[in-house]
Amino acid sequence: QQQEAIGMETRPETFSIFRTQENDPACQSEQHLGQYYTVPPSHFHTVFPHGLPPRYQQQVKTFNEGCVMVRQPALELISHLKRADYSKPTLRYLLYGVKGSGKTMSLCHTVHYCSTQGWLVLHIPDAHLWVKNCKELLPSSYHASRFDQPIQASNWLRNFRTTNEHFLSKIKLRQRYVWTKRESTEEGRPLGELVDMGVSRVKSSSDVVGAVLKELRLQAGGTEGGFRLAVAVDGVNGLWGRTTLKKEDKSPVAPEELTLVHNLRKMINNDWEGFDSMDPFVPVPVSLYSEKEFESCYLYYLDRHWLQHPHSQTEEGKKELIFLSNRNPSVLERLCAFL
Amino acid sequence: MAASLTGLLKPWTPRVLLVRWSRYNPYYLEPGPRKEVYHIPETELTPEQKEERELKSVRPIKAATNSVTSSVFNDPVLSKFVNMMMKDGDKIIAKGIITQTLENMKRKQVEKYHKAPEGKKAEIECNPYAIFHQALENCKPVIGLTSIQKGGKFYQVPIPLTDNRRRFLAMKWMITECRDNKHRRTLMYEKLSQELLAAFSKEGNVVKRKHELHKMAESNRAYAHYRWW
Repeated sequence: QQQEAIGMETRPETFSIFRTQENDPACQSEQHLGQYYTVPPSHFHTVFPHGLPPRYQQQVKTFNEGCVMVRQPALELISHLKRADYSKPTLRYLLYGVKGSGKTMSLCHTVHYCSTQGWLVLHIPDAHLWVKNCKELLPSSYHASRFDQPIQASNWLRNFRTTNEHFLSKIKLRQRYVWTKRESTEEGRPLGELVDMGVSRVKSSSDVVGAVLKELRLQAGGTEGGFRLAVAVDGVNGLWGRTTLKKEDKSPVAPEELTLVHNLRKMINNDWEGFDSMDPFVPVPVSLYSEKEFESCYLYYLDRHWLQHPHSQTEEGKKELIFLSNRNPSVLERLCAFL
Repeated sequence: MAASLTGLLKPWTPRVLLVRWSRYNPYYLEPGPRKEVYHIPETELTPEQKEERELKSVRPIKAATNSVTSSVFNDPVLSKFVNMMMKDGDKIIAKGIITQTLENMKRKQVEKYHKAPEGKKAEIECNPYAIFHQALENCKPVIGLTSIQKGGKFYQVPIPLTDNRRRFLAMKWMITECRDNKHRRTLMYEKLSQELLAAFSKEGNVVKRKHELHKMAESNRAYAHYRWW
């Protein structure tokens, strides 16, 4: 099949059925469905310091390139973002699907689109990291009954700084923030200073996160020097479930009592400047690989010399891979890892 | 009273019968899990294959074990290695370690492949199964030693080894080397992948052990006539 396709096309030898040269997410359309595009190496570390699944990061390191498949859910999301009316209340989109179907990767594709369009991206890599396995829980100084998570907050601020370098000097604070008796951040200072302070003063980093989120909410829709703000939360159901954290008297901590979760919920709640009403969300289903996508993935692995077992390159082996993985992307990836 | 006595006169058979670990009647044939054998049409069969098929349609067949599959990716040598790595019957953990080892080896080799210049790409072997088989071949000893008693003393006598024994020794040395002589905090799959890659290029402790055995056998060749078989 692959040979026939190449015979018919008249492009030079860089053409292949599973790759596309269109590396800009804004210009990708339905004709690129199922094809892999390469994320330019210069963008890679600025756009994705966090947020990619760990196995995908290993794959990028092994293959020496970061290729993402153009799939229907991501294209749908991007087209929604292109055509949405930004004078109306913000829309929320929810990617849902079975385990391993490619939700995180679709989200990362959309985040790449947003950053190439110059938006400010607030990417929380995994909300579950904030509600479980936290070693340090400090009682919050700002609000008596809440708890702070210094490590998670400072990590996130550091990554936020890497993603949005050019916005940090442009956005000015509209309010004065007092951290301790001796430290405060004045009005009109750039956001970068606030973020740096949060990274260095680990104790108040959760409050800094809250302040950053509030500032962005106030300024996002503004007409003078307005920028577009995209909030991407992976594992957003973690913000409303139970936490595995316990207070000192072994009673469980509810998610509302965590500063980070409280501030993030306010962000998702859609009461940004000028927007009053609550909106329902747009659901975007993420399905398993279709036949075309599976073919594309298989050819990509063959091209990158990843499928090494002699039998995996035959028709029999391919049928067996389809049977064993049921076209589930993550299961297929794990299977091909040792074959 | 009469009812219970007649119950005791029946011959007792157990409710659950063990099948695989019992000794099968030699009348039973081995199972043949490979699919290709059954896809050959009638006309292309050799006389022996025809005979075998007729036999299979008449005779009873032993039950297949859980580890044999009709999958094209089934490898008997690898299954044997997994069984030797297994502790307390926990095949899932042993199989998991082996798959992680294969993945690790492949990742290292593929990374080297993608970073190598064009001329060197053909020399890098990326197939973890090929590396595993070649490494095992490089670790197999050609000649072995055994302890023979003569005149009250025990002598180490060089003897030929069967194929099975050689394969067993290679696997055993590989596993004990990885379990004992490596750093405590590295995980087993990391240790195994390092050792297998070293054995593939004929370096490493296991190949050294094989060479030492050969040297011992060479130095003891005077006692070779103590062997009577």
